Amino acid sequence: MVYFILKRMIQSVFVMLAVAFLAFSLFRFVGDPVSQMTGVETSVADQERLREDLGLNDPFVYQFVRFTGDMFKGDFGYSYRTRQPVADMIASRIPATLELGVVALIISLLVGVPAGVYTALRPRGALTQAILMTTLVGVSIPTFVIGIMLIFIFGVQLGWLPTFGRGGTVQIGSWESSLFTIDGWRALLLPAITLGVYQLTLTMRLVRAEMMEVMRSDYIRFAMARGVPMRRLHYRHALANTMVPVITIIGLQFGGVIAFSIVTESVFQWPGMGLLFLESIRFVDIPVMGVYLVVIAFFFVLVNLVVDLLYVAIDPRLRISDVS
Amino acid sequence: MKSLKLALLGGALSMSALGASAETFRWASTTDPQTMDPHAVNSAPVLSFLNNVYEGLVRRGQDMSIEPSLATSWEPLEGENGWRFNLRTGVTFQDGAAFTAEDVLFSYQRASDEAADVRSWFAPVTDVRVVDDFTIDFITSAPNPLFPDSIANFMILDKDWAEANDAALPARDAENFATMNVNGTGPFTLASRDPGVRTTLAPNETWWDDVDHNVTEAIFTPIGNSATGLAALLSGEIDFIQPIPLQDVAQVEGRDGFKVLEGEETRVIMFGFGHEHDTLLYSSDVTDANPFTDPRVRLAAAHALDIASIDRVLFRNKIEPASQLVPAGISGFSEENQDRPAFDPERAKELLAEAGYPDGFSFGLKCTNDRYINDEALCRAAASMFAAVGLNAELTTGPVRDYWPQLREDDFDMYLLGWSPGTFDMEHPIRFLLHSQDDEAKLGSWNFGNYSNARVDELLPLIQQEIDPAARQAMIDEVVAITQDEVAYIPLYTQPLIWAAKDNVELTQRADNFFMLRWVTVN
Repeated sequence: MVYFILKRMIQSVFVMLAVAFLAFSLFRFVGDPVSQMTGVETSVADQERLREDLGLNDPFVYQFVRFTGDMFKGDFGYSYRTRQPVADMIASRIPATLELGVVALIISLLVGVPAGVYTALRPRGALTQAILMTTLVGVSIPTFVIGIMLIFIFGVQLGWLPTFGRGGTVQIGSWESSLFTIDGWRALLLPAITLGVYQLTLTMRLVRAEMMEVMRSDYIRFAMARGVPMRRLHYRHALANTMVPVITIIGLQFGGVIAFSIVTESVFQWPGMGLLFLESIRFVDIPVMGVYLVVIAFFFVLVNLVVDLLYVAIDPRLRISDVS
Repeated sequence: MKSLKLALLGGALSMSALGASAETFRWASTTDPQTMDPHAVNSAPVLSFLNNVYEGLVRRGQDMSIEPSLATSWEPLEGENGWRFNLRTGVTFQDGAAFTAEDVLFSYQRASDEAADVRSWFAPVTDVRVVDDFTIDFITSAPNPLFPDSIANFMILDKDWAEANDAALPARDAENFATMNVNGTGPFTLASRDPGVRTTLAPNETWWDDVDHNVTEAIFTPIGNSATGLAALLSGEIDFIQPIPLQDVAQVEGRDGFKVLEGEETRVIMFGFGHEHDTLLYSSDVTDANPFTDPRVRLAAAHALDIASIDRVLFRNKIEPASQLVPAGISGFSEENQDRPAFDPERAKELLAEAGYPDGFSFGLKCTNDRYINDEALCRAAASMFAAVGLNAELTTGPVRDYWPQLREDDFDMYLLGWSPGTFDMEHPIRFLLHSQDDEAKLGSWNFGNYSNARVDELLPLIQQEIDPAARQAMIDEVVAITQDEVAYIPLYTQPLIWAAKDNVELTQRADNFFMLRWVTVN
């Protein structure tokens, strides 16, 4: 097991290197950081001097090696835009993104799994049809439209929930959390729903399909014939067996939730990593963009690893194959 | 259900909280000031924000006029070129230190250092001499009547504070103490700062000037997405936002309790040409010449544009047609040359025929899509108007972040540009847009097409040095006449300035798009 984790960790370094390389090769097309860093009155000579100082005139490969070399030494560099250390900037934005992503995931599971089970067990019920219709609509509307709609209904028209930001946050060590105040939860609700809608639909449909499949299998029919109570049959035997593919997909999607929270963060002015990344693109803040992409790659690798480990925990057969 | 109750409860809580602190003022803008260092970055979001905290020797009033600030008066030096500033006595910085001429000298040295982005303001300055604690001389290489106007955003730091905190120079690579902390003499001081998220200002109780505002706490939040910003205003979470998109004006006006503030910004939107290019880069029919080197062709392009329609369709009648590179009301505006080429497609076709292009030709038009109000829509409209006279524009639009590099590399046939005169004087666009490119002398640095006229180049230093207003205006009039005659640019219109606020907020909209908290009253 330790060997397995170690192997994956080493792989992850290569994944991140590849991402950094791709990112760097694209940065040249994003724009010119210097013209974004300086005012209109700054002379061409001063701009050129700054470009030289920042090492932007160096060959691409040289810049890339310097960037990755510094990262290995733990030096993430300084933002072109704010001059702050990039590591601090990203670190201070991670809690917002993670809390948003996790709460979105929990909402999608809390609603998606029961809804999936229900619609599988009562495929012809009126409520099932209603749920399927609603989720179909939910999944076909782009995230930002859902976000804006929620803002205008619950924020502007009804005035129940805040329209932007994180509300009241509590500082726990270096982690700024919005999970411990009512204000924080109120601010979190709409963005989390917005971010979770797609996940929710996906989870529900997946659970439903798997569940229907499992319910048709021989062992369920056999258990039914033996008179196993329906509740136990549905939740203990059937649902547990639908979970492997569900966890795979949901797990892999979670990486995506973190990475693509950009849109939700922008709509709700949610001060997470995604919003930071968007601002960085606007200002061609190469150090921040580079580190962000590497961090996101790391999240993906980590999530994959966790998914693999969960498999082993859920499905005993995998444990045997691992030993062999 | 439980969460709904919680939400309702929370809603009630925050309502009462709002009622209790009526003078807390919350505002939003699209861009966060990237630093709290007044010398590190010469950008409007930074300078606008920091003008609430720091002050200069002079400042601009509500009508943009120059008025005394940390200097009470100033006069030209006798016997040499330069200005003497008599400083205000009894002013203290927010940390309690006294303000003296040493601080001005120090701030000058800091702001004119290579690490400072604002150093171009001090290009004419050769020396700064402290005469006594409250008198300081700025020596310039030539007579410079506009110098006091040009340093309205030159903000003064406390020398001892900066040196004690290792912030004697602006942060160029890594941050320093002044990136996140302030110590100015201005009406507000920094209470907290979370970059990109929230910045809080509190009134400076020891400010030297009369307090006109009634703000007890001011909270700034950058909101990049305009729909989110509008929702934040309409839901009452913020009191004021700058700017709002044109298409949202009706939304705000249609609701009780909100108002839209409209004005003219000083920014003139224009088309520029590749005057120096031998051939067109993006033409499918004319590949061996550049028709735009012929002033008749440039004039034809100007006659093809129907500004009134653009105003009606794209700008809801909120733009002011422009005849020259600054709008009326800016010093140096040439009253004599107020006419712009009329919308006259027939004349445009005649001119093209005279120039040898009776069937027109195709060319490339470069535009931004995120820099100016409705910039992309403007260029689409212009392209169809050009096409009506035979000028087939192949339009390329892109974000501003890689726009300037393309223009600097001469990668255009015609391009869009907006210019706001930083000194609020006609000399500014002459220096940056009309003088021939001269990197050595730092002139013409935004004259991408390198329009060049020997007489204009000759007049610029004379205009810069002329003390007599009438003689100066005569020279400016001559420059405007020449450049209109040669159609150096096609000035289109002045961009509108659109802010939105709650009805109970009184504030001043200044033409430079700067927002000054000291003029805010929350009723």
